[in-house]
Amino acid sequence: MENIIAQLAWRNVWRNKRRTVLTFLTIMVGGAMIIFINSIAKGGHDQMIEDAVALNTGHIQIHEKGFWENQTIDYAFQLSPELNQRLEENPHVTGHSRRIQAGGLLSFRDNTRGIFIQGIDPEMEKQVSNLHEKIMPGGRFLRSDDTTQVVIGSTLAKNIGARVNDTFAMISQGFDGSIAAERLTIVGLFKSGNPEYDREVVLMPLSQARSTFTMMNYIHTLAIRLDEAAHLNMVKDDIVRFTSKSETQLEVMGWDELMPELVQFIVMDDISGYIFDFILFLVVAFGILNTIQMSVFERTREFGVMLSIGTRPQQISAMILMESVYIALIGIILAIGFGYAISLYFEINPIDYSKFSEEIAVWGISTTLYPAKTTFINIAMTSLFTFLLAVLFSIFPARRAAKLNPIQAIRKL
Amino acid sequence: MNIIELENVYKNYETHGNIIPALRGVNLQIAKGEFAALAGPSGSGKTTLLNIIGGLDQPTSGSVTVGNTRLNQLSKKAISDLRLRKIGFVFQAYNLIPVLTAIENVEYVLLLQGINKKDRLTRSKDVLREVGLEKEMYRPPHELSGGQQQRVAVARAIVSSPDIVLADEPTANLDQKTGAHLLAMMRELNLREHITFLFSTHDPMVMEHSKRLINLIDGRIVSDEIHSKP
Ligand SMILES: Nc1ncnc2c1ncn2[C@@H]1O[C@H](COP(=O)(O)OP(=O)(O)OP(=O)(O)O)[C@@H](O)[C@H]1O
Ligand SMILES: [Mg+2]
Repeated sequence: MENIIAQLAWRNVWRNKRRTVLTFLTIMVGGAMIIFINSIAKGGHDQMIEDAVALNTGHIQIHEKGFWENQTIDYAFQLSPELNQRLEENPHVTGHSRRIQAGGLLSFRDNTRGIFIQGIDPEMEKQVSNLHEKIMPGGRFLRSDDTTQVVIGSTLAKNIGARVNDTFAMISQGFDGSIAAERLTIVGLFKSGNPEYDREVVLMPLSQARSTFTMMNYIHTLAIRLDEAAHLNMVKDDIVRFTSKSETQLEVMGWDELMPELVQFIVMDDISGYIFDFILFLVVAFGILNTIQMSVFERTREFGVMLSIGTRPQQISAMILMESVYIALIGIILAIGFGYAISLYFEINPIDYSKFSEEIAVWGISTTLYPAKTTFINIAMTSLFTFLLAVLFSIFPARRAAKLNPIQAIRKL
Repeated sequence: MNIIELENVYKNYETHGNIIPALRGVNLQIAKGEFAALAGPSGSGKTTLLNIIGGLDQPTSGSVTVGNTRLNQLSKKAISDLRLRKIGFVFQAYNLIPVLTAIENVEYVLLLQGINKKDRLTRSKDVLREVGLEKEMYRPPHELSGGQQQRVAVARAIVSSPDIVLADEPTANLDQKTGAHLLAMMRELNLREHITFLFSTHDPMVMEHSKRLINLIDGRIVSDEIHSKP
């Protein structure tokens, strides 16, 4: 009996068991839905980012300052051994790959196409991107000993009517302004799922690209892959600090800057998720409000008696607030349990979005399995909001009960 | 020594612009140890008078003194405190907090006063024994009969040794026999513990057993008789 207000509140919670249980269910289902929806969104977004990053961009890219904006061959830099070492030593960097990039023209039989040439080190590139896993049957990825062998996008091959073992002519401009021309032989076709890549990209060995474009030791891009997207800023900051003293001004860009459309998509998706969350929060809050409101209404006389024997009005409102705190806390615990359980189920059994693969393929998102991902922040925020809304919505009935006139309240039977 | 003193108390209620006079110049003194009944037809102002004495309602004019305290000048909090320590209330029915057992209902008042657990329990058991409920102490109100509930209410009203117990038709919801029992018990407490009682009633039996009968009609005291028989 020591804390009588809390004890009264606790017993009042269990007074109308059916109503209380219904309220718990409302909070449980509503809260669990919120946790689940957020987990699905989070898992989906993470997967999209991973896919997009794995396809080509990597988590971080280093260029000479101005390259990203201008995208011309002139913006090139040399990877210093120190930076190379620094990256090798960083435990969060799982791979980094040097790239030479240039636009060019392809000509095969009667066909001419604009292409995007990417010179890569076949072995190093495997640690950064996964194009090597997207080679169509009948072809192969580049090897270290390849020279004028290339891998091209499947759509490009189809458009020009070329197949594996065909040879085409490529013309472009070298780093020194000279003409860069080469006859290249297709050894494989890739199908990344990203229409733009599949239509334009030609992969050639870095060593060959060096001589074709007279790049010497210069590269356009150093693409870096991390163990986790979450470490982006940490690694990025380290690189920025490390390279700030270098002679050439460099730009260090994260995947979010490299793929702003993806970020935008995620933001938009988050917003629609928040709207949904908001509606669910309101449903939960009104469920609690309704319960508290009804139970307060039914107990008018009781409050009148309590007031007339010396209970202070603030004690009455404290009791009502405590009731909603108890209801909210129990509901939240159930919601966390239930929400976590369904999220976990869909983490183990990812949702298959293969029906929508066309729409999301834009970012090279070829994965159609999206595992849910439940984060601490998701659960914490859902719980906190539910709790705050529950308390906020009970302030009104609690205050009304405290303002009761005891004689009028006692008249009510 | 007077526990209660009312001087020229008026009470008007206003509803929809109409003024309803509930009390019209009530003068009343109640001394310590009295066992007094307020009688009068429905609407004569009995409840209004008890509420004003208990500080639940304020008079339109006139002065009300309980113990040594003039209620007119007190803050809400002070009046609430006065009700907690100096005045016991018993209403017609549904007096108890439903989620508390009989003993907890009694203990509640002491708890609000900040009395320690040991004293609370001793005192609560004592008064419940006095009202004859030692066996029913740990039952919740819904497992008690109407008469037993009223006894718990009386126990709660007297547990903090108030100056006066105000009871508004305490027997109205009880049958004749149970009502008589309750009244006899209150009278016993009055004699044994010298607790002052003022209760309102319609019941001729109750009026008969009171030591003093105050008759109200239309908000005025029309007679005030001391009954000599015990
Ligand atoms: N809150 C109120 N608003 C308006 N009028 C009221 C209010 N309370 C009481 N009255 C009026 O004041 C008068 C006295 O009422 P009161 O309840 O004191 O009578 P009573 O003697 O207790 O009657 P009963 O025996 O029926 O309980 C009545 O005319 C009643 O209608
Ligand atoms: Mg009355």
